[in-house]
Amino acid sequence: MMKKYTAFVLLFAVALGAFAQTKPTSKKEQDYYEIKTLPIPKEIYLEVGGLATMPDGRLAVSTRRGEIWIVENPYQKSSHQTYYRRFASGLHEVLGLAYKDGAFYCSQRGELTKITDTDRDGVADLYEPIYTFDLSGNYHEYTYGPVIDKNGDMWVSLNLAWVGFGEGKFAKWRGWFVKISPDGKMEPFAGGLRSPAGYSFNDEGDLFYGENQGDWVGSGRVTHLAKGEFAGNPGGLKWAKEPNSPLKLSLEEIQDNGSPMFEAAKKNPKIKLPAVWFPHAIMGISTSDILQDTTKGKFSPFPGQYFVADQGQSKVMRMGLEKVNGVYQGFAINYREGFQSGILRERFGLDGSMFVGMTSRGWGSTGKDDFGLQRLFWNGNMPFEIDMIKAKSDGFEFSFTQPVDANSVKKAASYAIRSYIYKYQHQYGSPIIELKDLKIKGVEVSADRKKVRISIDGIRQFFIHEFTLKGVLNENGEPLLHETAYYTLNEIPAGPVLVAAAPQDQIFTKVTEVRVVKNSLGNDLGIASLLKKHTCSACHAKDSKLIGPAFTEIAKRNYSNQQILELVYKPNPQNWPDYATEMAPMSHVPKADVLKIAGWINGLREKEGLKNRD
Amino acid sequence: MKKLLFTLLLAAPLCAWAQQAIPLTDLSAFDQPSKNWTIEQAVFSTYADTALQVSPGKGVLVNTLRGGKYHRTDDLKSKMQHGDIRLLVDFMLPKGMNSGIYLQGRYEVQLYDSWGKKTVKYSDCGGIYERWDDNRGKGKEGYEGYAPRQNASKAPGLWQTLEIDFQAPRFDANGKKIANAIFKKVILNGLVVQENIEVSGMTRGAIFDKEAPFGPILIQGDHGPVAFRNLRYETYEKPTASLGEVSYDYYTGKFTDPIIPTTKPVSTGKIPALTYRVIPVNNDYLIHYKAELTIPEDDNYEFQTYWTGSGELKVDGVVLNKGAHWFNEMVPASTFLKAGKHALEIIHIKDFPWGPKALGLQVKRIGARLVSLHDRTSLLDPDAVGLIEVKANAEPVLQRSFAFHQGKKKTHVIHVGDPAGLHYSYDLKQGAILQVWRGKFLDATQMWDNRGEPQTSEPLGLTVVQDGKFPLVLAHQAQPDSTDLVYKGYRLEAGLPIFMYDWPAAKLRVEDRIQPAGNGLKRTLTLVGASPQKSDVEAVLATGHHLSILQNGLASQPGNFMEWKGATAELLKTAAGASQIRVPFTGAQFTYDLIW
Repeated sequence: MMKKYTAFVLLFAVALGAFAQTKPTSKKEQDYYEIKTLPIPKEIYLEVGGLATMPDGRLAVSTRRGEIWIVENPYQKSSHQTYYRRFASGLHEVLGLAYKDGAFYCSQRGELTKITDTDRDGVADLYEPIYTFDLSGNYHEYTYGPVIDKNGDMWVSLNLAWVGFGEGKFAKWRGWFVKISPDGKMEPFAGGLRSPAGYSFNDEGDLFYGENQGDWVGSGRVTHLAKGEFAGNPGGLKWAKEPNSPLKLSLEEIQDNGSPMFEAAKKNPKIKLPAVWFPHAIMGISTSDILQDTTKGKFSPFPGQYFVADQGQSKVMRMGLEKVNGVYQGFAINYREGFQSGILRERFGLDGSMFVGMTSRGWGSTGKDDFGLQRLFWNGNMPFEIDMIKAKSDGFEFSFTQPVDANSVKKAASYAIRSYIYKYQHQYGSPIIELKDLKIKGVEVSADRKKVRISIDGIRQFFIHEFTLKGVLNENGEPLLHETAYYTLNEIPAGPVLVAAAPQDQIFTKVTEVRVVKNSLGNDLGIASLLKKHTCSACHAKDSKLIGPAFTEIAKRNYSNQQILELVYKPNPQNWPDYATEMAPMSHVPKADVLKIAGWINGLREKEGLKNRD
Repeated sequence: MKKLLFTLLLAAPLCAWAQQAIPLTDLSAFDQPSKNWTIEQAVFSTYADTALQVSPGKGVLVNTLRGGKYHRTDDLKSKMQHGDIRLLVDFMLPKGMNSGIYLQGRYEVQLYDSWGKKTVKYSDCGGIYERWDDNRGKGKEGYEGYAPRQNASKAPGLWQTLEIDFQAPRFDANGKKIANAIFKKVILNGLVVQENIEVSGMTRGAIFDKEAPFGPILIQGDHGPVAFRNLRYETYEKPTASLGEVSYDYYTGKFTDPIIPTTKPVSTGKIPALTYRVIPVNNDYLIHYKAELTIPEDDNYEFQTYWTGSGELKVDGVVLNKGAHWFNEMVPASTFLKAGKHALEIIHIKDFPWGPKALGLQVKRIGARLVSLHDRTSLLDPDAVGLIEVKANAEPVLQRSFAFHQGKKKTHVIHVGDPAGLHYSYDLKQGAILQVWRGKFLDATQMWDNRGEPQTSEPLGLTVVQDGKFPLVLAHQAQPDSTDLVYKGYRLEAGLPIFMYDWPAAKLRVEDRIQPAGNGLKRTLTLVGASPQKSDVEAVLATGHHLSILQNGLASQPGNFMEWKGATAELLKTAAGASQIRVPFTGAQFTYDLIW
């Protein structure tokens, strides 16, 4: 009985394109991090643009169709049913919502608006502009916010227009963060934004925002911005010439030669490097909201860390930050996937759970629903996870949520480490460049076995360091819930080097075997591990449209294996005009693997043909 | 009028259908016109008048019924006899009046004062009037007839537009009918009210006993006063180009230009009609089609091609068009051809794998319908998106979006819908009404389908475009195109908004309230504050050409009436040579109605 159930789960996962890990792990994300779905009345298009937790126990939701709904019983305490009351309507694509002192503040495309129910009948009757934004009429000039800071000022981010590339010159302050006082005084704060859908302040009052891969943005990322800084996309630089701009910078000062962003930043220090890169297609494809866990241990086992959502991949990732030489940097790691639609908003509820608001219209997402509202919470069981990664002068120090098996961490084979970076260029996206595999020089385990320090040959400042701790086990012999993390090494701290035993790299023990699971399609699951390894499955599924076309659709194009190889290395988005998200060049994937995948894709066509003959 | 002119200007170059005008300088185009029909220079009527006032001159055809008795001889028949026809005309009905246009003297599109009716049937304006058969039994004689899709009628006394695209019935050599007449389209005041309606036979009031390939335009004149102007038509009786058997040579390989290769074709063949479907691969091919083109008469012929990839169209070796296109791009090319046989060639390549294969060729000649020379399956139908409608059935509904106004996209627009079926779009930046309409509320498809790239929404009913300017000025000052207003938001009362502005030039606060009232919208402008300028404020009711003050408190502009109580209006000349109607404030408030 149990076996049958497992087999079903595996097949199901394949069909969804969210391939199950091929490693036989007994523990899954849902064993610790649970998702509850809030029901939505059938006639409501709850395409969530904004969420606001209300102190009275209700939840407010703003939508792309311009409504604000107040949800009663959102914590589903006494019953599972919720009640939706339409508080406001008629607004223009409300992509941000806040509640303060009895009034709502929201961004419409062209306005920061205060909305009040003056006669207290439960429906708004006063709509006042706090600030009116310029718009050119381009659909891509989205307006997000407000996030209200401690002083009561309202922060709004202004998306660039899209004209085949991101352009900010059509309407004022596009590509900028602006700060607006309650009486409507606007102050530009920082520039260089492309698609700043999510941002928030941490407990120190520092502003972080999530950026989407695209032109001048090689991969998704989270950037800390201080006043007058430039986040990288020059689309809105026209406004740096305004007298009240805190940033003086012109397009001509920015190099566009395909070398990494840190090279450009060396020449022009106004260019702010991201605190953490989220490698494209692996750690999401469209970074959205970001929220620091300030629930003091209620929401997650990782208080003080950050939770970054992704629209296209319908998941929440975790980010741990440290400050080295005064600069924020840290790591990204998966946390929870499997949400129902594309996540745009995260807000903490009063009980420390997280409301997750979703919409995928126009973009597509792994979660198949058009929109949705769910709640993410931790059930209190302690998973075996990487807790924190800290940079050291010659390597990194990992801390874990549980003591590790000392033998497992001493084996070189327990680690796969490499570093790489992306191009900084006007072209859309970037391949992975300057990829280098790294070797461990030494390993040291702390007395409580919750910390492991490693020294590495050839760590590189500014690069993404990818760690796959595939052999690290806890005392029960269980592997990590998430074994791969990505650390962005902006600064290398000073400090003593590690004097410790070299890892036992001669005693090569295969910690994990790829278990070959056969299903009705022969060796699909062997391919599945390749597709997952190279992140193909982040955007493509076998039979269904995800972010990109189904493999069976690609098969119908009758490309040769060699043509598929060329297109994987240099995609031509024109081939798929119906797909909103362009594919990134995947030239770092070994040729042999691509050809193997290509052969498998073309094999799907023959099967299709056979099927049709029935 | 402004809107109509705009539409016509746009429509003419797009479809290149030449219309022939029936000049209304005299009645010579009509067959023995009765005395009730006259030619005048202009007609006027308020929305409450049951008669037309005329000013003598030329350009408008007017029916003034003698004595109100039924006389079929009061109808007006064109000398022109037509089969397939596209007919355009403006008409004006006084209150309660009834007329109709009979295609071929047999099939009637009803003209009627249906203004303000909630539901409409076959006997309302834009309806196809019922058929009649005494043999069906008492009370059941009337049958068929088609209600318009919605009530698209304007107020009596306003000029309205009508466009009819009609296909005549077909008969075999023995005179036996083999295909019914079809109203391909009826467009009333810019709204499609009928589309591809096949009628089984003649309307009740037909002036003939039986159906026939030809007949005159008949305008009903026996029910009361009615006026017409701008009577234009195009008939489709001429023969047009046709294509014989198509032969083709098919080549494979990487071709970047439509140049016939010197190598031997991979295959050749003959097909009864032009189609891409003989091409077995998706890309990397060249196909060369040849066919005999038969031209019936010397004339200009417009060829329209469609293909995915590159191609070239040649007639008698002369290249008519050449280029790379997507299949849904129509590429026109006109040429003069002599009657007789001509050699038509198409060379087509597709050197990329994406996109659907497609090949289409159509031909249009003035006086004949556009016809396809390709096999139907050779050209894809474009995808249509289902309507996303915002309804205002139970309570007032507000919706912001972008909106086009006089060809420009406005970004801070709110649409306000009311269950009374009277709606408007409002520019929040300018405190200005952009358009008013009656009927269903809003089409939000372009905003809410997919990413909503246009991000616009549009009226779903009978629309009258307004000038989009802030209506208040200080006395003796010109009305600027845009005013330095500070938008202060809106508050809702009974679900309807009151817009609030600071008006720095007058040091006043202005409140603008628009509510349904009867068959129009009532706008109340209130001045708040104690500025010394308060007594100098004037409301601009209309700017443009063809403005009339019909009586004290009632004026008209092309499209709608303005009605108010109190002060006397002034008719001014603007610097641009247009006219402007202004009414001074006498207190803190001014109210006027827009009626259409």
